[in-house]
Amino acid sequence: MKKAKTVLGEARQIALASDLIHLGARLQVLESETSLSRERLLKLYKEIVGKSPPKGMLPFSTDWFMTWQPNIHSSLYINLFQSLNRSSELDEIEVVIHAYRMYREYVARLKMPEVLSVTRAWRLTRFFDAGMLTSTACTECGGNFVVHTYELTGGYVCGLCDMPSRAGKTRANRMAAYADAENESTEVALAG
Amino acid sequence: MKVENLLNEIREANLSYLILAQNMLRADRAEALVRLGLSEEVARIIDQLTAGQLLKIAASNMLMCRFRFDDSLVWNLLLSHTRGAENAQAAGMHAAILMTGNAIEAVV
Repeated sequence: MKKAKTVLGEARQIALASDLIHLGARLQVLESETSLSRERLLKLYKEIVGKSPPKGMLPFSTDWFMTWQPNIHSSLYINLFQSLNRSSELDEIEVVIHAYRMYREYVARLKMPEVLSVTRAWRLTRFFDAGMLTSTACTECGGNFVVHTYELTGGYVCGLCDMPSRAGKTRANRMAAYADAENESTEVALAG
Repeated sequence: MKVENLLNEIREANLSYLILAQNMLRADRAEALVRLGLSEEVARIIDQLTAGQLLKIAASNMLMCRFRFDDSLVWNLLLSHTRGAENAQAAGMHAAILMTGNAIEAVV
């Protein structure tokens, strides 16, 4: 963690913290990535979001990243993170912010829900640093996907080449499709 | 298309491509490197090109950009021949993962 000894340094830390808050980061992420005090972070959070940050622990399991939909979203994010990380000399947290913004662009264009929160994305990066998770190439399509480090990945096939039959059929998706149909029918009714 | 027309179109494509690349690099270097699939060295050169130099390079008979994804799977996924919104979304994500993975190779 960098210490903010100068006024400019502190300004930079505040800018970083507010970027993260705007992306929806939890307080624990801010505490870990900036040198600002908890009181100042709380104040900043309330100023930006307009309410107190959620309490409770961060999700800590690596298993979430292995389930079908989260795995795909995490894999896209980690590919972006790794290419940004290799091509630039930014601090890791800056790379997290850039990669997460680019991830959101993709998801928005495909009209999908943001399955991966910035807090999860940060956590995922930490799991990679700690060597608990890594990425491996699918033997069918060659894309990089998130896997457990000590899993046997000899003939790894990704969740998109070998889709489970119920993949993506979540309740939220069904509700969204239903809402779309509703909207369309009201539009038709209005037009008629 | 006549050869002269073809060469003119190549020059125009080159010029807009170079200007776009330059703007992207100046707006956000880190993201631009990934989106363009460019190395830091070449990025530095493009960033510093003057208007005159841009015109000179654009006037080459060769296209300065090329198809980045030499994998028919990526193209098929982008065309997404699948039925249903969910499948189309999955195909879009699949293409994105392949393309971003490819970006790493291009940069290294």
